[in-house]
Amino acid sequence: MDAVTFAWLVLAFPLAGSILISLSFKLLPRRAAGYIGTAAIAIAFGFAVAALIGLLSHPVEERSLNGALYDYAAVAGIDVELSILVDPLSVFMCLIVTGVSTLIHLYSLAYMTSDRGYNRFFAYLNFFVFSMLLLILAGNLVLLIVGWAFVGFASYALISFWYRRTTATAAGMKAFVINVVGDIGLVLAAFLILREIGVLDLTEIFEKAPEDLSVNSGVAVAIGLLLLVGAFAKSAQIPLHTWLADAMEGPTPVSALIHAATMVTAGVYLIARFWPIFELAPTAADIAAFTGLATLLFAGTVALVVTDLKRVIAYSTISQIGYMVVGVSIGAYTAGLFHLMTHAFFKALLFMAAGSVIAAMAAVQDLDKMGGFRKALRFTGPMLVIGALALAAFPGTSGFFSKDEILVFAEARGGMYMIFAIGGYIGALMTAVYSFRIVYRVLSGPPCKEAAELEQGHLAHGEPVNPKTGETEDTDVGFPGSEHWIAERARPMRVAMSILAFLALFAGLVQVPGVTHVIDSFLEPVFAESKLAEDYHPTVAAEWRGLAIGAVISILGILLARYLWVTNPALPARLAKRFRRIHDFCANAWYFDKLIDVLVVRPVQAFGDKIADSFVENKVIGTFAAIATGTVRGAGAAVRISQSGYLRAYAMVLLLGLIGLGIYFLIAGGGA
Amino acid sequence: MINLAIWLPAVGGLAACLAPRRAVGWVSFIFGLGALAIAIAMTVGYESGSGLQYLVDEKWLPDLGVGYKVGIDGISVFLVLMAAVVWPAATAWSAIKTPDRPATWYLLLAIGQSGAIGAFCAQDLLLFVLFFDLMLIPFFFLFGAWGKNPDGGLGASAATIKMMVFTLFGSLLMLVAAVATAFISSEGGSPLTFSISAITAQGVRDSSEIWLFSFFALAFLIKMPVFPFHGWMRDTYRSAPLPALALFTAVLSKVGAYGFIRVCLPLFPDATAELQDVMMILAVVSIIYGSVMAFSQDNARLVAGFSSIAQMGFVLLGIFALRADGLDGAVLQMVNHGLVVVPMMLIIAFLAERVRSDDLSKMGGLAFRAPFLAAIFLVVTMAVLALPGSANFVGEFYVLRGAFEVDITLAVIASLGVAMAGFYALRLYQLSMHNREIEADASAEISTGRGAILGALVAVIVALALYPQLILERVDDSAESQIAPAARSAGQTPATEASVGSRP
Repeated sequence: MDAVTFAWLVLAFPLAGSILISLSFKLLPRRAAGYIGTAAIAIAFGFAVAALIGLLSHPVEERSLNGALYDYAAVAGIDVELSILVDPLSVFMCLIVTGVSTLIHLYSLAYMTSDRGYNRFFAYLNFFVFSMLLLILAGNLVLLIVGWAFVGFASYALISFWYRRTTATAAGMKAFVINVVGDIGLVLAAFLILREIGVLDLTEIFEKAPEDLSVNSGVAVAIGLLLLVGAFAKSAQIPLHTWLADAMEGPTPVSALIHAATMVTAGVYLIARFWPIFELAPTAADIAAFTGLATLLFAGTVALVVTDLKRVIAYSTISQIGYMVVGVSIGAYTAGLFHLMTHAFFKALLFMAAGSVIAAMAAVQDLDKMGGFRKALRFTGPMLVIGALALAAFPGTSGFFSKDEILVFAEARGGMYMIFAIGGYIGALMTAVYSFRIVYRVLSGPPCKEAAELEQGHLAHGEPVNPKTGETEDTDVGFPGSEHWIAERARPMRVAMSILAFLALFAGLVQVPGVTHVIDSFLEPVFAESKLAEDYHPTVAAEWRGLAIGAVISILGILLARYLWVTNPALPARLAKRFRRIHDFCANAWYFDKLIDVLVVRPVQAFGDKIADSFVENKVIGTFAAIATGTVRGAGAAVRISQSGYLRAYAMVLLLGLIGLGIYFLIAGGGA
Repeated sequence: MINLAIWLPAVGGLAACLAPRRAVGWVSFIFGLGALAIAIAMTVGYESGSGLQYLVDEKWLPDLGVGYKVGIDGISVFLVLMAAVVWPAATAWSAIKTPDRPATWYLLLAIGQSGAIGAFCAQDLLLFVLFFDLMLIPFFFLFGAWGKNPDGGLGASAATIKMMVFTLFGSLLMLVAAVATAFISSEGGSPLTFSISAITAQGVRDSSEIWLFSFFALAFLIKMPVFPFHGWMRDTYRSAPLPALALFTAVLSKVGAYGFIRVCLPLFPDATAELQDVMMILAVVSIIYGSVMAFSQDNARLVAGFSSIAQMGFVLLGIFALRADGLDGAVLQMVNHGLVVVPMMLIIAFLAERVRSDDLSKMGGLAFRAPFLAAIFLVVTMAVLALPGSANFVGEFYVLRGAFEVDITLAVIASLGVAMAGFYALRLYQLSMHNREIEADASAEISTGRGAILGALVAVIVALALYPQLILERVDDSAESQIAPAARSAGQTPATEASVGSRP
């Protein structure tokens, strides 16, 4: 079998798992859905590895393979087949997605045990993995959009998984609608591509684009920007980022898998995949890069002050994706994708550790209520630290090497692009501070009530309350389950976290400047013809200089965090009071939600209620209809037949007349 | 065979009258399945690319040029099939709980089906008008006599009168226009005929085209309905019995849209081209207006009603792009909408029955006790909002692509409707299925019988999502010839094959 067949199988297993669990959800014994789901993804991972091996057996310049099953929608000049594209980029993404997904499934196997929606959870989770793989492997733009939208749907379903929480359903709706906006961006981009280039097959688009699009022409930039609408919506970049923080309403494994490791990096994948378009539309690429920079700085400031544990990590995700977007937009494709990979490892780990902490807190997520878990969580604690170290780009960890590559490339490109390097280092300082803010606030200090209890061996239990609405949670549909699962007491969780911790620490070693370049050389064929990737090569010396700067910043940030939350724990509160305005501004995420509410939501609602419903529908259309029927009713009244009788008689006469007419015609016709 | 497809349901309706009270519905249902089998056989036997098939052309009133001429092409074949699929579904749904006066109810339903399928098959202008009315009249009875009197709105009979006034007004215009068309086209000395193909050959082509077109168009726009001709919709939707309303929305509105394709495009190409802009703007206004209204309604029936206005807007937009891709998408969308709106309406019927209200604010939290229903409803919702991956998305993609090539601005505005569809469809789902239970004890899973009906419909939706090419391929065969004269008149190339993008 060749790589393409393996790639089809990669797609098939998660889908089969999802269908199997959905159809038999009532029959499955306890935890069976978890095993089926995990196995399906693990097998898909196995096939992804097989596809990798298959691909590597091809010579370097022939590593782009197509496979098609049948015509999906192919008439009238639109040619869409059910086709996949297997090349180093898609295989690279498949490996990350299936690999991380397997571990998160494994984690969920235990973590979700007592949730009443256990089977539903795994059906959705498997469907999500299928969708993500479809997005990655899609051979044409329409199929890519299908995967893109399926991912959005899966995300919606899992955000509102605990559907009795009004906050969760509202968050799901928000995520879905913003994602649909992104879908529309892609659809319009497809129309423009179809008009200008005439094809939808990805390989063909990239082949023909240089002939049909002149550099930085209006159309090229328009296509680029429309693609960016899609990318920004999915990857939570300003101004389409507001859904991601709310997405934390979903179960924590979902946050780890979808809203950190995989789905939200789809925008990065999209930009990297469409690099030939973006190199033809440098203006669009620059806009993307600046948006990425703005997002990474913005989200960093928010992550410094919000107190919900999961939201801190969510904003750090938004910020880290900002780095990736900067990377793939300025031409540092492999660096951006390398960061995507390492981020998947350490962010998934961080969320898993957070999940364990939250379980220990009996579903309370507020950092202000936590503290002193150092002794109580002897496994989770170190995991949290490892995740934070990698996120903070501590020297030697995976995040250290990957983040640096992006910033050094920006520096090498020089000129205006120096801004990205400088901004990136500022962001890195914030990253280190907020990463260790989490660590110190959770682990150090005097043990909170739950931590003290846990040290005695008692896992906290409490009536869960939705912090936003003050409602008691309805545990009918699961939330948060009658028993909680912390990593210390669940082997699957420990196994999953250990593997990720290993990767978070050491995955960076595949790409050490001047020593190894595994990712670079594997992805090289995809970007072989890129001018940017060819023109700008940071020297090994520059890379090590960058690493040195990064190391200093990282350590500085960690020390600062230590000063703020360990040495001088009263200081942050004083600072928050002193700079109240700035604090509130950041804590409210720069009021983007309010802005969108005022600019979009309310006008549309007002239009719907006031203008469309009250005025047009009731006054204009209503009056018109009243006049029309009034005339007839007047005539009816003259006949003096009661209303219903009138109606029936009228219709009956009509029917009889019609039948009579038909019979007459029949006879007359027959006679002629 | 085609006669069987048209008349078998009506015969079944009559036969069912003889059955015992409780069995009436099921007898009618079995005949419906028979009609479905015939429709499937016709679809399977349909040969792509050879024009009208299963043609029956009997002389009827030769003096007047009226013929009983029926046949199907790539455009009507799946519309007939769609009607044949949804009709038995709604029939069976209503048979589970025997309605009042069952014999009449099922007879009327069955006559309606014969009328609708006849209208899709008619190739004679007068015959089309007759079938059109034959399909409508049973629904006046169904709505008037079996409807309910909702709080704060017109009662069933008053609402029905309102609807009758609108639609009969349209029918009358259409009748006049049909007769006038035949006479005008024969003025050049050719024999009087109502055969659509013959009139097309003779051509109407003179100044009267515009008003003839307008008369037909008005009838179709009212029937679909499209903004601002939907004045009858609100009260009708609030009061009509839901299984009948489901068919009304699914099939009868499509006959309106189908009229444009079958009658207006070939007979009045110049008028079509001239009014292309007007119709496209109407379409886009309908999309936006329908969507906005759909998410401001609290009555579940009206959400469905206004979302139909938006969906019919897409269909209209596709037709009047006057391009093969637009028309392909429009027809696919007609089939899709028919298939999704029936389960949606039936689910609303189930929900409303459970809480004894159509008010969304009285529903909620049902998913927990009815996971099967929740799953089915979720698939339907995703199809309604045209999630990429559904056939509805493919339909909208083709429609919007057609519009995009004609007028980018309109296409972009129309695409906003897609985002709003996401909102209103999901809102309907969430308000009924999610959040807290409003009436905990009343929650219940759907019964096996009803579940089977919905499951079958969802299976069709999913199958079509996997292979929309099935329909597109056949529609495309007929689309180009149907659209060519009008497109030429509008100065567009009808064939997209000539432009870029065809397969190497």
